[in-house]
Amino acid sequence: MIPIILSEVGQLLRTGRTFQLIFVIVLGVLIAAAYILGRRGKMWEIRPLEALEAIWEGVGRCAEMGRPVMVLPGISGLGSPETLAGLTIFGEVAQRAAEIGVTPISAASSSEVILASEAIIRSAFTSAGKPELYATGKYVRWFGGDQFSYAVGAAGQVIADKPAMTLQIGYFLFDVIVAAETGSRVGSVQIGGTLGSLNMLAMFCDHVFIGEEIYAASARISRDIMATATIAGQDWVKLIVIVLLIVGTILGLAGNTELYKIMGM
Amino acid sequence: MSTLVYVRGYLVRLIIVTGCLSALISWYFVSPQADAMFTEINLINMNVSLFTLFVGIITISARYIRTIQARQKYWPYQLYAMVLMFLWVIMGTTAGLYSDFYQTAYLSTKITLHIAILGQLIFFMASGAYRVFRIRNLRTALFAIGAAAICALNAPWIATPFPQLDPFREWLLSHPGMAPGRGIAIAGAIGACALSIRVFLGLEKGALRATEAA
Repeated sequence: MIPIILSEVGQLLRTGRTFQLIFVIVLGVLIAAAYILGRRGKMWEIRPLEALEAIWEGVGRCAEMGRPVMVLPGISGLGSPETLAGLTIFGEVAQRAAEIGVTPISAASSSEVILASEAIIRSAFTSAGKPELYATGKYVRWFGGDQFSYAVGAAGQVIADKPAMTLQIGYFLFDVIVAAETGSRVGSVQIGGTLGSLNMLAMFCDHVFIGEEIYAASARISRDIMATATIAGQDWVKLIVIVLLIVGTILGLAGNTELYKIMGM
Repeated sequence: MSTLVYVRGYLVRLIIVTGCLSALISWYFVSPQADAMFTEINLINMNVSLFTLFVGIITISARYIRTIQARQKYWPYQLYAMVLMFLWVIMGTTAGLYSDFYQTAYLSTKITLHIAILGQLIFFMASGAYRVFRIRNLRTALFAIGAAAICALNAPWIATPFPQLDPFREWLLSHPGMAPGRGIAIAGAIGACALSIRVFLGLEKGALRATEAA
């Protein structure tokens, strides 16, 4: 019976995507397992992220200097996970900033990110018990949908408002250089996190979230047991990937291509 | 949490789960029904995005008009942006997006501005590189030597008379350079999957906190 079901399912699968599907299922199962363990009381610890600790120090610096904190979520829309990660961190930063009287400002490139950013700031002021401070368009600026117009606009905003801390977490391309260098020149503490342009961002930032740290940061910020559990599941998957890399390298060096074939490559 | 907010929160999750499932089934399985559903959801998504564009324009216009009327800080720039925004809308609707007039106007402004910014990028990169590549210890010295070698070997006045150095540049880029890049990409992809699952489960609070405050 089981072989017949497997054969039927196999016929429905698209060619070359079987391994991907198995990998996604394993990822889901491991994260679900970590989640269930978390619900049963298992405590997971995430190592301290240097960039994240620097964010809280930076918000305090903004309060001391009486200057705003600026968060740039990049040039992509809400479909990008990097933008979502940036907005998640923005939510927490805006909340902390609103509580201690620091002005959170931002610049968005796409219309949906403008709306999400406005909602985040409104929520932060409401949660901090200061809803009267919120005004539409006061904190989130729009400089056009083009990457360079965004970059130059954000750089202009940095010069005008002189934030004591600038966070650039999201999806960036070459545009990141313009705003980041401007931030350096106004003496802003710079913290960045992205995937594709990390090398460029690292040139200008005091602290960077490397790789998947931008996704882990939100769980670390919230200290939510369930969210932290998903990070544990993610780490198990990384272990599997490392094993696959080592085995694949050894087999590849030995001239064996079976693993490549299994992976549909 | 009020009932309305509670319902709205779960509606968002329901839409996310439905959208993700249709995308996953359509990607992994041969299913015309899932394909049709995915296409339909994509169309809805495009419509919603278009709607947010209109909301964005209305929000920006409302804000700018108030600022301009009150002659607040930066009002001339906002007036300039407003005029240009509506000018381009009129040009696009009257001449057509693919007309020579519109394309020439668009490209002659956009490309020239892009080139101006690309020129600035060189100075910004040089300034950033100066800070990064200052030799303070062995690690930064290796870093600086690698970067200087790649820069120099990409320059025609060095690469052309010394073609034998090209394999060294290639090796730097394809071995020490590419390995960490791929590591970051793999870890990033896994992290993005985990983030998606957190969004699925409603554990990701920051980006969705708007729902709670609504």
